[in-house]
Amino acid sequence: MSLSLTRAAAEDLLYREALYLDTRRWDEWLALYLPDATFHVPAWRDETSQTQDPETELSLVWYKGRANLEDRVWRARSGLSLASSPLPRVVHLIANVVVEDAQVEAGTGVVGSAFTVHLHDPRAERTHAFFGRYRHVLVEHDGAWRIAAKTVHLLNDVIPTVIDFHSL
Amino acid sequence: MTGAVDYRALQRLIDDRPDEGLFRVHRAVFDDPGVFDLEMQRIFAGGWVFLGLSCQAPAPHDFFTTMIGRVPVLVTRDGDGRLHGLVNSCPHKGARVAQLRSGNSRLHVCPYHSWSFDSAGRNKAIKWKSGGCYPQGFAALGQDLPALPAFGDYRGFLFGSLTAAVPPIEDHLGGAARLLDLVADQSADGFELVPGSVTFTYDANWKLQLENCSDAYHFTSAHPSYIRILENRREGGNTDAVKSIWEETDYWTGEYGGSEIQGGSYSFANGHVLNWGRFGITPAHPLFDRHEELLARVGPAQMAWMFNMRNLTIFPNLQIAENASSQLRVIRPIAANRTEMRTWCIAPKGESAPARSHRIRQYEDFFNPSGMATPDDTVAYEACQRGFASRVEPWLQGYMRGTARSAAGGNTLSDAIDMTAQRSVLADAQTCDETLYHSYYREWARRMSAVEGGPA
Ligand SMILES: [Fe+2]
Repeated sequence: MSLSLTRAAAEDLLYREALYLDTRRWDEWLALYLPDATFHVPAWRDETSQTQDPETELSLVWYKGRANLEDRVWRARSGLSLASSPLPRVVHLIANVVVEDAQVEAGTGVVGSAFTVHLHDPRAERTHAFFGRYRHVLVEHDGAWRIAAKTVHLLNDVIPTVIDFHSL
Repeated sequence: MTGAVDYRALQRLIDDRPDEGLFRVHRAVFDDPGVFDLEMQRIFAGGWVFLGLSCQAPAPHDFFTTMIGRVPVLVTRDGDGRLHGLVNSCPHKGARVAQLRSGNSRLHVCPYHSWSFDSAGRNKAIKWKSGGCYPQGFAALGQDLPALPAFGDYRGFLFGSLTAAVPPIEDHLGGAARLLDLVADQSADGFELVPGSVTFTYDANWKLQLENCSDAYHFTSAHPSYIRILENRREGGNTDAVKSIWEETDYWTGEYGGSEIQGGSYSFANGHVLNWGRFGITPAHPLFDRHEELLARVGPAQMAWMFNMRNLTIFPNLQIAENASSQLRVIRPIAANRTEMRTWCIAPKGESAPARSHRIRQYEDFFNPSGMATPDDTVAYEACQRGFASRVEPWLQGYMRGTARSAAGGNTLSDAIDMTAQRSVLADAQTCDETLYHSYYREWARRMSAVEGGPA
């Protein structure tokens, strides 16, 4: 049986991902990703274009395999990273959700959305926002939608000291 | 504060007593806005500053823009292939002429009143010039984009100066030029920047970045989460991860018995320093698949040095870190308590696709502000900046490890690549030399305290 990816289903998954990141339910966040999922935050080549090929161009983050995200979660919880202690408070706002491509037979769908992450860093007493667009590739897995690939097109890429998975 | 400053007093912010082996730096060096203003004049506007690489403007009419301190700079290649370093400010009203970070343009047209300049900076047109009723002496004033008073190209590393009173760039680099050679010679075709640059800021003084690059002491303290993740990957916990060169070394474990040479430092004239670690010719290094070609082309000593971890600072604003990968950093001070870092992955041209991919992966995990190491550094800089506010005990003591091992001149390892140094330290895993910073602050004191109008 294949599901057809509706906007409601896509929104449900994206909003749950945001909720898990905002509330630090990172195990549930990781469970949204397939074991071989990719996670990509391209860098910018110049004022107008972003890098595309992670094999030949630099990314802010490029991971192939959920285990890399598990490493990042481990680090954030470890107490061994000054940049993660204390953690910033974040809230993700996601809007403009569009199902761009739904392949019913294959059980896949591509979802575009816009995001803003508001962040308060209590250590530095500093508040700012990251914003841009998400592109999720979702795959039906045991009757539910999971993330096979996520690309974060970060528009304000002059990074104030640090950016981590929980703020993307 | 110019005019009222006792420049000689600035020298007293560095407590340098070579006879006693004592060296301390006053906190005001890092957080005093008056000191920062003087640094802009005397260090950034008073000598050689790194601009970029000639490969950032490879073709005729290519250009890139950067800054010397607060001054916008345009580096452009003219139609004959010659590079020019220019002040990126229109002689008419001062507007920044080229707005983009890089591009290709035969003509740079000022966006404000359309004065235009060719790719050598020569004025080509003044809008409605003949109708402008200019005074007679106008043409003699010159309407070209002003050339930087000094512009130097060492093997594709470009430097500029806002004062003409500088030595030739080769003399400024001195023995440290050999370390730029180690970057330039990794491929017979030269080097390039991997597409994509990363910019970040931190709320602390620029010299914290200067120091951290040379700081072997902080690695196990500031980066335990990164080290533990590498250990976990080595044990097979995460088979999706790429291999990092740090996994192949016990440089940072301190388990080497404390006697074997694991690295060290070199200090050069004019403020340049190298911190290095012995890494060996391991498959975790992106150069590994070409080590035979390197051996044949550059010889065993240069090749061994290319595989070593090397953190190089060319005073005051260029750093090249080759450890888990290879990073080019340009430091731009914004205020006493704020700094911008522009960073790129620098790599030899023509390397294999797997080696390039491997280099990029290691870079992202280690160097990026979105990675697992750099954020733990920059956040520590911010902690320092907070602490600098104290004057209860104004002197900082982070400049004395390694004193008893510091030797005048180089050693057999530097001799092997014809590199002359002012001082050197050979270190075991726990020496973590801090005397290399003396080079930064002696140059800093020399430049900051030079009498106005006198020789720099
Ligand atoms: Fe570090």
